[in-house]
Amino acid sequence: MSRRRIQNVLRKEWTVILTDPNRALFVTLLPVLIVGQVMLVIWLIVEFGGEGATGVAVFIASLAKLKSAFPSVAALPVVEQFQVLLLSQLGLYLLLIPTMIAMSFASFSIVEEKLSRSLEPLLATPVRTWELLLGKALSGALPAVLVTWVCGGLVLLGVVGLGWGHLLRWVTTPSWYLSLFLLNPTIALLGFLLGIVGSSRAKDASSAQNIALVIVLPVLILIAVQVTGLVWFTPLLTGLLALAVAAIDVLVLRVAIGLFQRESIVVHWR
Amino acid sequence: MIEASGLTKRFGQLTAVDDLSLHVDEGEVLGFLGPNGAGKTTTIRMLAGIIAPTAGHALVSGLRPDQRPESVHELIGLLTESPGFYDRLSAQRNLDYYAGFYSGIDARAQVPKYLQLMDLWERRFDKVGTFSKGMKQKLALARALLHEPKVLFLDEPTAGLDPEAAQEVRDMIGELGRAGRTIFLSTHNLEEAELLCRRIAVIRTHLLAIDTPEMLRRRLFRRQVTVQLEEVPGNVVEAVRSLSFVQALDHDGNRLIVDLADPDRNRPELVRCIVEAGGRVMAVSEERHSLEEVYLSLVREEEANES
Repeated sequence: MSRRRIQNVLRKEWTVILTDPNRALFVTLLPVLIVGQVMLVIWLIVEFGGEGATGVAVFIASLAKLKSAFPSVAALPVVEQFQVLLLSQLGLYLLLIPTMIAMSFASFSIVEEKLSRSLEPLLATPVRTWELLLGKALSGALPAVLVTWVCGGLVLLGVVGLGWGHLLRWVTTPSWYLSLFLLNPTIALLGFLLGIVGSSRAKDASSAQNIALVIVLPVLILIAVQVTGLVWFTPLLTGLLALAVAAIDVLVLRVAIGLFQRESIVVHWR
Repeated sequence: MIEASGLTKRFGQLTAVDDLSLHVDEGEVLGFLGPNGAGKTTTIRMLAGIIAPTAGHALVSGLRPDQRPESVHELIGLLTESPGFYDRLSAQRNLDYYAGFYSGIDARAQVPKYLQLMDLWERRFDKVGTFSKGMKQKLALARALLHEPKVLFLDEPTAGLDPEAAQEVRDMIGELGRAGRTIFLSTHNLEEAELLCRRIAVIRTHLLAIDTPEMLRRRLFRRQVTVQLEEVPGNVVEAVRSLSFVQALDHDGNRLIVDLADPDRNRPELVRCIVEAGGRVMAVSEERHSLEEVYLSLVREEEANES
């Protein structure tokens, strides 16, 4: 029964998304823009920065980490080493996509129910809080994950299209796949759950988005620690990170259920 | 079927409902009246398992809504104060969604059944956002009935509707009551309450009274019989005054206004006495106090007690 109810929430949320052109556009256009933007930036750095960019202090440590993880990179010309370094960040950079979609969708998810006063009749049905919240979280997380995978494909196409195909072997590493197929879904779910927590506590969508914004910060930190060479995300580290985020997902779901106080929502939402 | 025992709800310092005890029999339609802020909606929310009481408890079909809300929700239908739909979805899609949460119902049969019953079948594919308030209210009633609940909680079902839509909703509630559903009807419309309900409960944070409208009238007002005569001769007045069961007598033009100990039993004897004294009786009627007067009397009495 729980599965049926969760699927019911999923189907409804997707129908609502499809009837809202703004959100449908957001979920499709935003990821393409994110991917396009980063590919353009890498191309600009490589084209116009060239070898000069490799001398930037911040990249020296990370290049060393990269060469330590993939000794074969050392055989490449310096500019291409730098290209590999930048392209290696994309696995983590793609995590921004589910995060951004999560922030937008989850924030609306509960707030919209508040505004339309549809939550009280919903709470009068036999649906349990966890079924409702998980259904809502998955309704956003699943498309976000799929879109991110599509974007991962677009990145690879872009790499080939820009004539960097020979560098692909250092881009599509086990860490890349682990990040895309393990870390990405757990981060997406976390983003949605935090968004739902935010929107349960907020009075409007923008306040909810501000609360949910907290999820972007750890993702940016992940990118920063790798790009500055503080930590290099090996497959083991990426896998462990995914497991840790999955554990946090469970924790946040419990917190979300605790914070989703039916009474407060029904009585105080006006 | 519904029982409240010492039901109390406090929000911080504010007591919304205080020590409310009542019961509603199976198949009964109970009217729940009270001024704004009297605790009607809060009571319904507690009985429907949406919020938990601070003290006391409720039973719906033998189940405690605060302990087993999901089981209670399978048994009840709730019409909330505000219809609350997803405006961008069609009427049918909205009902499909809500039906999807109940076990053991065939949504493919129930949704069309209630769309047709509520006269919304032709508009089933239209977005709810395009519906009038009356249509939304009928759709909300359909939603509350989808799973054929034994118990219905209706919170202000005709509030804000135009007279025609209000009448349609009222007719439907009447039919549901006649079909044997237990209905807990919160309303501001006293005529509606009198028309639909066997008993009336009046609340102002706590329960002021609960009884049939007739018994509430009797409890609060003396029953006065008015006798319209062709003329009122002095000997008729004297004859009536001498009757042992006459508690008070007044006359206004050709009308005698008489307070009787037991109007149902004393009325024929009163008429016989007047006729024997030579009075020519044109009409006999009993002054009937409206439910509004009953309600206002109860509420004002409570206000006076408080002050």
